[in-house]
Amino acid sequence: MTDASSRNPLLDQFLVEAHELLEGISHKLMELERLPEDPGLINELFRMVHTLKGNSGLFTFPEMTRVLHAGEDLLGKVRDGDLKYSPPLADRLLDAMDFVGLLNAEIERTQSIDASRAIDSARLAESLRAMMPAEATSVFSSSADAVPPLSRVPASMPPLNSVPEEQRLEAFRRAGEGEKVHWITYQPEPECFFQGDDPFHRARNTPGVLWGRALAAQPLPPLAAFDTYSCALKFHMLSVAGHAELAEYFRYVPDQVEVVAVDPLWLTLAEIGTQNSAAPGHSEIAAVRFAVPQPLGLTEGAVELARLLTVQRQILALDDQPAWLPGRLKAVAAVLGNCARAAGNSDDSPHLVAALATALDRASGQPLLDWLDAQSCFGFCTLPPLKMTENRPDEAVVTKAPAEDGVKFGRRAEDNQTGPRALKVDQAKVDRLMNLIGELIVEKNALPYLAHRAESQYGVRELSREIRSQYSVINRIADEMQDAIMQVRMMAVSTIFQRFPRLVRDTSRKLGKEVQLVLEGEQTEADKNIIESLADPLIHILRNSLDHGLETPDVRRAAGKTEVGTLTIRAAQQADRVLIEIMDDGKGIDPAVIKQKAYEKGLIDEAALERIDDREAVNLIFAAGFSTADVISDLSGRGVGMDVVRSAVEKLNGTVAVESEKGKGTSIRISLPLSMAVTQVMIVESDGQLFGVPMDNVVETVRVARNAVRSIKHSRTAVLRGRIVPLKALNDLLRITANPLTNADDELAILVVQAGSEILGLIVDGFQETIGVIQKPLPGLLSGLSIWSGSALMGDGSVLMILNIREIL
Amino acid sequence: MPIEFKKNRAVFRGLVGVAEAELLLETLQKKSSTRIDLAACDHLHTANLQVLMAARPAIACWPKNPELRSWLEDALKLPASATAAQE
Repeated sequence: MTDASSRNPLLDQFLVEAHELLEGISHKLMELERLPEDPGLINELFRMVHTLKGNSGLFTFPEMTRVLHAGEDLLGKVRDGDLKYSPPLADRLLDAMDFVGLLNAEIERTQSIDASRAIDSARLAESLRAMMPAEATSVFSSSADAVPPLSRVPASMPPLNSVPEEQRLEAFRRAGEGEKVHWITYQPEPECFFQGDDPFHRARNTPGVLWGRALAAQPLPPLAAFDTYSCALKFHMLSVAGHAELAEYFRYVPDQVEVVAVDPLWLTLAEIGTQNSAAPGHSEIAAVRFAVPQPLGLTEGAVELARLLTVQRQILALDDQPAWLPGRLKAVAAVLGNCARAAGNSDDSPHLVAALATALDRASGQPLLDWLDAQSCFGFCTLPPLKMTENRPDEAVVTKAPAEDGVKFGRRAEDNQTGPRALKVDQAKVDRLMNLIGELIVEKNALPYLAHRAESQYGVRELSREIRSQYSVINRIADEMQDAIMQVRMMAVSTIFQRFPRLVRDTSRKLGKEVQLVLEGEQTEADKNIIESLADPLIHILRNSLDHGLETPDVRRAAGKTEVGTLTIRAAQQADRVLIEIMDDGKGIDPAVIKQKAYEKGLIDEAALERIDDREAVNLIFAAGFSTADVISDLSGRGVGMDVVRSAVEKLNGTVAVESEKGKGTSIRISLPLSMAVTQVMIVESDGQLFGVPMDNVVETVRVARNAVRSIKHSRTAVLRGRIVPLKALNDLLRITANPLTNADDELAILVVQAGSEILGLIVDGFQETIGVIQKPLPGLLSGLSIWSGSALMGDGSVLMILNIREIL
Repeated sequence: MPIEFKKNRAVFRGLVGVAEAELLLETLQKKSSTRIDLAACDHLHTANLQVLMAARPAIACWPKNPELRSWLEDALKLPASATAAQE
């Protein structure tokens, strides 16, 4: 129906999750059959059904939610020990879950659920509830029969005589034009007002409604004992809308609604009934109508009857011999019987039964045809007088709801499922691809070395050139391949942003604040791992902003701001990094307060208290154990939060910083790599060895004359761009005894690195190029060496050790 | 206020919500002679409708909206006993 790109990503996620949950649920259900006493299993199962129900509630899938809700209730009873888990119960639950799976597939196909499912949904929910201990079932779902309520066959013909003449005639006319007339009985639940329901409103707006009335479901109690909040009414409506449309309209309350297709003939039959109980004036109209020699309605009714009989004749005249012939004959006989009764001749039914028996015996329609020919009452020009009293149409006449061709229960849900549009691949497989392409990229880097050797060692220039041209092709393909594989892992930040509007709304309401959320750059993409691990930190930050940052409307007004605070979340891609900025226009952070709190909590000493500037002070909120909130709310203020944010972001090789202006607002900036797979490292040389330094840490490379390095106490420093930068020799840090080398101009090579807010100049022997490598963690015993963040393979096959700058500082 | 209670008359206006039903019931319990003016009423919540159906107050004005009027006439014109007996 629609292509994948235009679909709501939230819905996509729901479908994937629902799929997984359903799989888990059926697995658990079956496991539970083996171990019915396991409380862990039932808890797990309950949780999964609950989650799925909750998820489905986010969308308008009442059919799905209803079944899941019933399932959840049932499992709740099992969990609480009120009900024993049994195979029949498992069957029902599995049936229900198959149905949910079916709906899921349908949503996947069409993004919606066909309204006809409401009936099945109600029936399943009812059958689930029927399993519950007696007291738990509600009044409206206790009936044992599994007939779908929406199409339940009434015991008698609907009281059409209560419909005023004009509307009934109108209905009759519309039926004559080929429209279906339906009689609707809508009995709302007594407690429906509490669900925000207005049954009268729903009744009034019924599609195609010609007439309707409200009446007391039971005799209304005396006014003194009247309960306003319990719905005591029910509604009758006559509608010319199709069954599907009605089912769609009443999809939220299918168990409270009964829809009966009205045979056009009934509309005329009801005529006689009105004689007794009609409102004043109706009998006159009726009299007028009878005075007309050929009442319009009767002719049409007769035509209808004639058409029906012709069809029956045609059916009987068929001379094929299908396996279902007996059923067909019975059906025809039933129709004929009803026609006869409708036409006022019900005395001949024994003959009809006999004719049917003969027909079945001979496996031929002829006996029934003979019977039909013998009937005088089907003379079409003169219709016999109508007799209301006997006209209790047989149940078979009532047109069954067209939902019959819907779900057949017992059929496995898979039969109908289409293959999911997106391929679900285990992440490990994608990771393997990623590793392989990483190796390929490294390996292809060996080709230039080879070309070099071909020329310098063997002196074959031609070959060298060919190798190089081959290399450029392989290089291009490998790069594209890497890009493609990265794309597989890319997700838009909108997948996590989507949760925020609701979070902000709920939280701000709880806090009595008015907040407008602005989301920007939702299409920015980054690696799946990064996006996923970003969700929690962002939620922390949002809560903090809402709780501590933004003020209540009163305070804002007093401060001369707009009452509604603005919270902006902006994502953008900058080179190979994703920047996410969370800005609020709240009260900002007071550096003095932060410093004081940090000092009180022992996070900084007195000297630091004096030394650090405002910018550094506000960043203290990321220190572990820091909290300024005086009261612990359920939102924030437990002293965890911002340091968790920091460590989460740093784990992703990202950085987080806060800027704040008191009274104006706060902005928190998170910078993350697009992907964690390929790390850019700068190669530096020291004592003949090569080391890698992640580019994220590199600030600059400079050459400083040896005599420009000053010693302050025992540490060496240099002044760079007006800043004092402490220097350390990489050789010293690695316990290499050699001294750093200088170049011809007696200058030291200094690599200025940064981790967090600290800066250090590393004295090395020389700089080499920057390369992209796939960083591998150190295995075994080596993993304990925290000075290395990992190792990587270089193009010539050598191993490059990568320094962990944070550890060196 | 969707229902305005005057001396001996309750005037319904616009959409009358579920919250009004309580007061309407109280008023009709205390003063059964209260007349109901529905002329400007567009819709009344089921809760109000059933209070009217139970109390059967005199209707001073029927709604101008013909569709609503036919619903209400059907529900309120017949004597209370007749509505129940029709079933």
